[in-house]
Amino acid sequence: MAVSRPLEVPASGVKGRLRWGSPQSSWPAVLTFLAPALLLYAGFTIYPAIRTFYNSVHTIRPRGGEEFVGLANFRELLTTDTVFWKAVANTMVWAVVAPVPDVLVGLLLAVCLYAKVPLARFFRVVWFAPVLLSYVVVGIIWMWVYNYEWGVANLLLRGIGLTAWAHSWLGDPATALWAVMFTHVWKWTGFNMVVCLAALYALPSEILEAAALDNCGWMRKFLFIMIPMMWRTLLNLLILSLIGKMKVFDLVWIMTGGGPLWSTETVSTYVYKRAFEWSTFDLGYPSAVATLWFIVILGLVLGLTVLFRPGDRLEY
Amino acid sequence: MGLARAAKQATLLAIVSLYTVLSGAPVLWVAVMSLRTTSEISADAYALPFPAHWDKYLSVWTTSHYGTYFWNSTVIVVTAVAALTIVGSMAAHGLARYRFRGNRLVYFVLFSAIIFPPQLTIISLFQVLVEYGLFNTRPGLGLVYVAIQLPLTFYILEGFFGQIPQDYFDAAKIDGCSEFGVFWRLTLPIGLPAIATTVILNLIELWNEFLYAVVLITDDEKRTLPLGIMRFMGDKLEDIGMIATGMMIAIIPVIVVYSVCSERMIRGMTASVLK
Repeated sequence: MAVSRPLEVPASGVKGRLRWGSPQSSWPAVLTFLAPALLLYAGFTIYPAIRTFYNSVHTIRPRGGEEFVGLANFRELLTTDTVFWKAVANTMVWAVVAPVPDVLVGLLLAVCLYAKVPLARFFRVVWFAPVLLSYVVVGIIWMWVYNYEWGVANLLLRGIGLTAWAHSWLGDPATALWAVMFTHVWKWTGFNMVVCLAALYALPSEILEAAALDNCGWMRKFLFIMIPMMWRTLLNLLILSLIGKMKVFDLVWIMTGGGPLWSTETVSTYVYKRAFEWSTFDLGYPSAVATLWFIVILGLVLGLTVLFRPGDRLEY
Repeated sequence: MGLARAAKQATLLAIVSLYTVLSGAPVLWVAVMSLRTTSEISADAYALPFPAHWDKYLSVWTTSHYGTYFWNSTVIVVTAVAALTIVGSMAAHGLARYRFRGNRLVYFVLFSAIIFPPQLTIISLFQVLVEYGLFNTRPGLGLVYVAIQLPLTFYILEGFFGQIPQDYFDAAKIDGCSEFGVFWRLTLPIGLPAIATTVILNLIELWNEFLYAVVLITDDEKRTLPLGIMRFMGDKLEDIGMIATGMMIAIIPVIVVYSVCSERMIRGMTASVLK
């Protein structure tokens, strides 16, 4: 749902935030209130971010050796680094494909609850539960679900006679990325369901009642009334999901570590690997990857904001 | 007509039950396995836990260091959330209640960090914490946790504090309330629902946090639960039964709190998109 800027809450009359007519504030008080947050922000967010930009044009060896290399890291990255491009391709596939099932399944579940299923409250609570689990827990559970011999995915396939389909989902480069994506969708569907349900309840009921009087079936109500009226919310969820996928790390790292054969490598796991796993002894190169990817995400956010969200803001 | 209606209702119920199994069964499965030994599980991965081996919990807690991991997670997360609540609400109060040049600029600067991908800061945070002498320490990880959750916390609180009627503050000032008194006696009590929301959100996010912890903590006795589970998994990949028990140590607190206040938690986790 659109979060309109708090500043736009009517400021006339008695309610609302400070008006421009109110007296000038005292600087000591303002500074006291803001100082802790600004210090933390400066020390643990902005300084490290700037340091990463600095790193990206250097070769950084552990124990202090630094050497300025200009744009050499970026040049290598963009021209010769095939693993990086594989990671970009995987991340883009994920970011483009996954938001659709993410939001669509969430929306369908929300509509089921909205259609007055008995025990709706119970279902809502159970469906939301995966959102609260950590990636470590979710990742390990699903590694077992996908297990070749005794994982439930393969047991079900063998049970319905599709023995030939059973295989090592995470071990096969052709299916590994899709298997991890499925798990990611599983974890986040509940979130989208709750947001869609709230949007459904916010729809003006007269319109839906009028449609019911006109003998409009559920399917048509869904396609021609609910979806168009909820479009704003759905778009927000799609964008939120897309931006989230651009940063995806934990689940991949836990389930496959980027393998097999780079088939699940994402930009984030690649940065981590180059910085802390491979013994390349250079923090500059992964910093260049992180910097480049930050620029891509920033461009994407700005682009989407300009395209779809005049005046409104969304957080990622 | 009646028949079609019944058919529709049946389809609906089928979808709903199917998804309930899909979302609930994996966790139930782990809960069941946590009470069974690995040899029982390799005989049949889907049997019920009879007899139930409750002693496995005692065993992971004491001999596999889960007691230490649990304690580390609790201390780091609780102090970080306490600090976040104080720092975040102070900043939100400062921007929501004081008029000064650059107010919106500060707001934008603090808020914009929300789009930073973790990879942008993680490498240099590693360097920076080494330089500050905070690398591989619990306070270091706690401070980083405060910093990463600050933008969202601040954003939710500022939105709420900004809606508190200004007249309350004017009245308090006339009654001689100090600047800090206004924050303490007005903003905090009135803002309590929003503060509770951010506390829940931050507790869950940080309890589950993995990436920063894995980079910034290396000693076993300082590991948090997610790291502990991963290390245990790395050491004893085949010991499914014990891994399941260890995972339940991380899941149980979440489930207990969720069963007591599910609505509040759902609201907290979706607060970034829903008001």
